[in-house]
Amino acid sequence: MRIFAIALNTFREAVRDRILYSILAFALLLIGASAILASLSIGQEGRIVKDLGLASSSLFGTFIAVFLGIGLVFKEIERRTLYAIIAKPIHRFQFLLGKYIGLVLTLLVTVGVMALLVAGLAWAIDGQWTSGLLGAAALDFLALMIVTAVALLFSTFSTPTLSAIFTLAVFVIGRLSADLKLFADQFAGPGLRLIVNGMYMILPDLSRFEIGAQIVNALPLAAPQIAWTVLYGLAYILMLLLLAIGIFQCRDFR
Amino acid sequence: MSPRPLPQPVRISTVALLLAGLVLVGAIAPLHWATLSGAGLGVTERAMFLPPPAALRAASLGFQNVAADVIWLLTIQYIGDHILTDRNLPELFRLIDTVVTLDPHFVEAYTLGALFMNYSGGNVPGAIALLERGVRANPARWELPHDLARTYYLDLKDYPKALHWFEITDRLPGRPGYVPRFIARLYAKTGERETALEWWQAIRDSAASAWVREIAEREIAKLERQSRLPPRGKALIGEDRR
Repeated sequence: MRIFAIALNTFREAVRDRILYSILAFALLLIGASAILASLSIGQEGRIVKDLGLASSSLFGTFIAVFLGIGLVFKEIERRTLYAIIAKPIHRFQFLLGKYIGLVLTLLVTVGVMALLVAGLAWAIDGQWTSGLLGAAALDFLALMIVTAVALLFSTFSTPTLSAIFTLAVFVIGRLSADLKLFADQFAGPGLRLIVNGMYMILPDLSRFEIGAQIVNALPLAAPQIAWTVLYGLAYILMLLLLAIGIFQCRDFR
Repeated sequence: MSPRPLPQPVRISTVALLLAGLVLVGAIAPLHWATLSGAGLGVTERAMFLPPPAALRAASLGFQNVAADVIWLLTIQYIGDHILTDRNLPELFRLIDTVVTLDPHFVEAYTLGALFMNYSGGNVPGAIALLERGVRANPARWELPHDLARTYYLDLKDYPKALHWFEITDRLPGRPGYVPRFIARLYAKTGERETALEWWQAIRDSAASAWVREIAEREIAKLERQSRLPPRGKALIGEDRR
């Protein structure tokens, strides 16, 4: 109950943040502009709107996760509101989980708006509803939940600027981790291969959550693979949250 | 009554804004003028300086489909620029190769790219190589073997290979209804009249329209004449009487 009270409060706080609206406005503008860009292609209007729309939703969702996530704990410390909260009968893990759920709720609303706009535009252009687009957005939302957990983890022990840099670095590596592994397998020596493979195992492989290409090209999706990806995402989030809680518990706020 | 002078910060801001505006106009205007007058980087130059697909793949941060779409739009502009002027498309293969390397399932890039390479670039082997690559990446799509069959049939007059690709097309879902008729004709062209006859009979028996049935009847009659055999129906009647 306490977790949800904090989550609701975090959600209210996030929806009042001007950063959210500026990022959302840019995202909606880009998704809308994709319809104009699509008119330059030969018979590929629907494809371009879907590709660009899903990519915009993912990229701007990441910006929201990073720029709101990095300040989740730091702001509370800076404003000294955290001292008032932890003096109450509330556990630190409840506070952290509430913060996380609140931001995830904000992301759910914003990604939902973007996904519905993309699906609506694609429907208007193609003349048929592509339900897979919402599935692709849902899986991408799970990747955003990982990015939010990473931002929260850094937010528990670092400044917002450093947290933003670290989280964006994890996002970039996560998007390219499959290529990194390929690079290691093809070119690197045994030592470097071991390091890159180790990094591949530790860092999140965000490319696993990207099924937009299959949806846009109407390719079949393997249900077990999706299920494993969802499980992988949830396990990763749980691990990050436990790590963040551990660090937050150990911090001395005196 | 004289108007009240503006406060100093406002005056400074206004002058700074005007100066910044002048610098911006001074810097941007020549650049835009160069672009408008055609002296800027054209579509052909942009196509020539395109980074390799592996670099684009890494730079796109995993959003390869978007990168493929952007290069596809550049390809359309490149074709449009040259098709009405010199009809020379030396960069077309590289552009299409980049698009399909970024997204191997972009079927229309293979088909349209091969079409322009074939009919405007005169590069039939390149078009065939591109379509065969498309078939390998998208074995369930009928468009690619269909275009290969069409290229062998119309441009190279290589009927056995055209037949081979039309037969592959025939096995794929969504293929056009006319494909079996092409197969039947190609069997006749490659000297396999009996098989051609069987195909035409199957087409006649399963025809949904009178128009297709008429074509099938005509082709059956033609093949029977060519084979100098008695018409099948009459032969059967004769056998019954016996």
